[in-house]
Amino acid sequence: MIGSFAPVRVIGLGNVLMGDDALGPWVVEELLAGWDFPEGVSVLDVGTPGLDLTPYLADATAVFIVDTVKSDVPPGTLRIYDRDALLRHPPPPRLSPHDPGLTEALLSLDFAGCAPRDVVLVGVVPEKIEKRVGLTPRVRAAVDRAGAEIVDRLGRIGLPPRRRPGGPFAPWWEAAV
Amino acid sequence: MSKRIVVDPVTRIEGHLRIDVEVDGGKVQKAWSSGQMFRGIETILLGRDPRDAWMFTQRFCGVCTTVHAIASVRTVENALGLEIPLNAQYIRNLIVMAHAMHDHIVHFYHLSALDWVDVVSALKADPAKTSALAESLSPWPGNGRVQLKAVQDKVRGFVEAGQLGIFTNGYWGHPAMKLSPEVNLLAVSHYLQALEYQRKVNQIVALLGGKTPNIQNLAVGGVANAINLDNDSTLNMNKLFMVKDVLDEISTFIEQVYFPDVCAIGAMYPEWLGYGAGVTNYLAVPDLPLDRKGTKFDLPGGTIFDADLSKVREIKTFDDPYFKDNVSESIAHAWYDGEWTKHPFDETTEPKYTSFEDSKKYSWVKAPRFQGKVMQVGPLAQVLVGYALGHEPTKRWADKALETAGAIAGVKLTPAVLHSTLGRHVARMVRTCVISETAKKHWSLLAANIGKGDTDIFNPPVFPKGEQRGFGFHEAPRGTLSHWVVIKDGKIANYQAVVPSTWNAGPRDEKNQPGPYEASLVGNPVANAELPLEVLRTIHSFDPCLACAVHTLDPEGREIARVKAL
Repeated sequence: MIGSFAPVRVIGLGNVLMGDDALGPWVVEELLAGWDFPEGVSVLDVGTPGLDLTPYLADATAVFIVDTVKSDVPPGTLRIYDRDALLRHPPPPRLSPHDPGLTEALLSLDFAGCAPRDVVLVGVVPEKIEKRVGLTPRVRAAVDRAGAEIVDRLGRIGLPPRRRPGGPFAPWWEAAV
Repeated sequence: MSKRIVVDPVTRIEGHLRIDVEVDGGKVQKAWSSGQMFRGIETILLGRDPRDAWMFTQRFCGVCTTVHAIASVRTVENALGLEIPLNAQYIRNLIVMAHAMHDHIVHFYHLSALDWVDVVSALKADPAKTSALAESLSPWPGNGRVQLKAVQDKVRGFVEAGQLGIFTNGYWGHPAMKLSPEVNLLAVSHYLQALEYQRKVNQIVALLGGKTPNIQNLAVGGVANAINLDNDSTLNMNKLFMVKDVLDEISTFIEQVYFPDVCAIGAMYPEWLGYGAGVTNYLAVPDLPLDRKGTKFDLPGGTIFDADLSKVREIKTFDDPYFKDNVSESIAHAWYDGEWTKHPFDETTEPKYTSFEDSKKYSWVKAPRFQGKVMQVGPLAQVLVGYALGHEPTKRWADKALETAGAIAGVKLTPAVLHSTLGRHVARMVRTCVISETAKKHWSLLAANIGKGDTDIFNPPVFPKGEQRGFGFHEAPRGTLSHWVVIKDGKIANYQAVVPSTWNAGPRDEKNQPGPYEASLVGNPVANAELPLEVLRTIHSFDPCLACAVHTLDPEGREIARVKAL
C-alpha cells in the first residue's frame, strides 16, 4: 500500500534550499526522471528527516543512501561507505530530533530487529552548504556519477533500472524566480 | 563557586541548539539558549509565485515539513481572502493530525524517554511482576510476560555484546534515575512498539498527502486530492477506510500505552512536577477549521498571562486582529544588524555575527513577543488554553491524566502541577489523546460530506494588481507557527516565518527578559556537572526544533560532540 516501501530502497537525503546539501534529493529526482525502476525498488527523496528517517529504513533488505559527506578530499569527490563504516562511531548526544539521524536510525532498527542487512552510503563531498538554491559546479558534475553508481549497484543485485528516453532535466526547485 | 556547563552538539555540523548554564550550589542560576545557525531561509521566497511558496517552505525543516506547507497555503489564502472547500479543510486537518500524533509518539519514546528510563536497569526486572504492573495500568495486550521476557533477553544480548548502540548516550546509573527495574523494562518494551506505531500513523500522511515526508497534495485554494468513489487512482472509499483502520489502531496505542506510560513516569518523578515552569505566559492559536473561512474550530486558541487561567483570552478566527496585531520580534540579543523590535510584516533579515557574548548578542534566533511579553508555546500552552476555555475533550483528558498519575503517586494532583518540566510531557500526551479522538471525528465529517455528493476540493486563487498582506497560522506539534507574506503584483515581496521553537528557544529581548528555555532552567538541580541529565530533561520537554536545515553526514566521525563542563 501507499506509505509502505519495496524491500530495496534508494534514499536521497539533504535540503534543497541549502546549496550543495540538495545533492541527495537532486540525484533522486534525476534517477526518477531518467530511469524506470523494477518492482522491488523504491526511490525516495526524504529531505532532512533527522530521527524520522527510521520508518524509511525499516524492514528493507538493502538501502542505497545518497547524501553529502564531510571529508578532507576535494568537493565533488565520491566516497562510498558501507554499514560497518557508518556504525563505527557512536552517535553524538542529541538535543533535537533534527540532528542527522542515520546512525541512530540504523541502531534503533537493529535493536528492534528490522534493520536493513545491506547499507551503502554514496557520499559526495560538498563545497558550499549555505542558504541558496543550486549546486556548485563540482558537485553538480558529481550528480551523474552518484546516479550511475546507484544504477550500477542495483544491477549487481539483479535489479537493473531501464533507461527512459527524455530531454535535459531540472528539479522543481531550480525553476527561475 | 559557580561552574559553567555548555551543552553543545554543534561541533558535528554547523547549526544546532547550544545551551549554557551557570550552576551554583547544585542548582542552575542562569541560562542562555543559542541557535547556532543563521536561518533567514525565507529570503529564498522573494520574487517567487505565492502559489509555489508552500513547496519551498515545506523544505525549511525536514521534520516539520507538513506544518510549514499548511501554514504557507493558509497565509496566501488569508492575503487573498480566499475560502476553501470543506473537503479540503477536512483532508488538511487529517494530515496535520496524523503528523502531530506521529511527532508526539516519536518525541516521547525515541527522543526523551531515555531521560527518565534506565535501559540497563531493565535487566534486573522480573518479567512476571512487570506484566502484572502493566495489567494494573492498562488493558493493552502487548504487555504479556513472555513478550516482556523477550525484550529483556534482547537488551541482555546487546549489553553482553557491548553493543548498546542506540543507547550509547543514555545516562544509566545516574543518581537522578529513579524508576523501578519493572517500569524500566515496560518502557523499553514500549519504546520498541512505538517504532511500529509511528510508522503506521505516517501512512495516513502518505495516503492523503500523496507522499511523505514532503506532501504533494496541497494548493493555494484547497487540495489536489481528486475525489471519485469509483476510481482507483483518486481518493475513494477504499483509501478512506485504510485511513480509518490506521486511526483506530493508533488511538488504541495512544490511549492504552502512551497515556499510562506518561502518567506512571509523572507519578514516579513527582519532584519534576515542581521544576521547570519558567515562563507562565502561554500562547496557542485555534486549529482544525470546521468551515470554509476559518471561523469555527475543533481546537481552541488564546492567551494566558502569569498562569492566570481565569483571564484567558480567546483567539477566534484565521483573521483575528488580536493575533495579527500583537506579534513582534526583537533582535536585541540576536546576531542581526541593529537593535530593533518589529512586526513580522516590517522585518528584514540582515545577519551580523559577532561572537557569543552573555550580555550582548548570542544567538541566531530572534526573540518573538506577544504584546511585548515572552510567551511559552507548545502542548502545555495548547492544553492550558483549552482547559481555561472549557474545551471538553482537553478538560476530560487532562483531568483523567491528573487523576491517574495522582492515584499511582497516592496524592491529589491539580492542573497547577502542569507548569513544569514533566507537565509539558503530560500536556503533550493529553493533546495527543484529544487529537486522536478528533481525527476520527474529522474522518467521519469527510466521509459524510463526500457521501452527500460534495466533491469540491479547490477554489482557484486570483492575484489582483497591487499589494496584499496575509498571515496564516497552524498550531503545530511544537506550538504556534505563523507565516507572514507581502505580495506585490502577484509576486512575493516579503515573507517571514515565526516558528514555535523561536518562541521557546529565543534569547533575551530589549528588556532583558529571558526566553522560555532560559527561564525554565533556572532552579533546576544538577547533581553532576559532567552529566547534566537534568538540563537535558527540561530542554527535551519542549521538544526543540532548531537547525533542521541541513543534512551532511560525517561518517569519518572526527569530531565528537560533547558536553563541556568549564
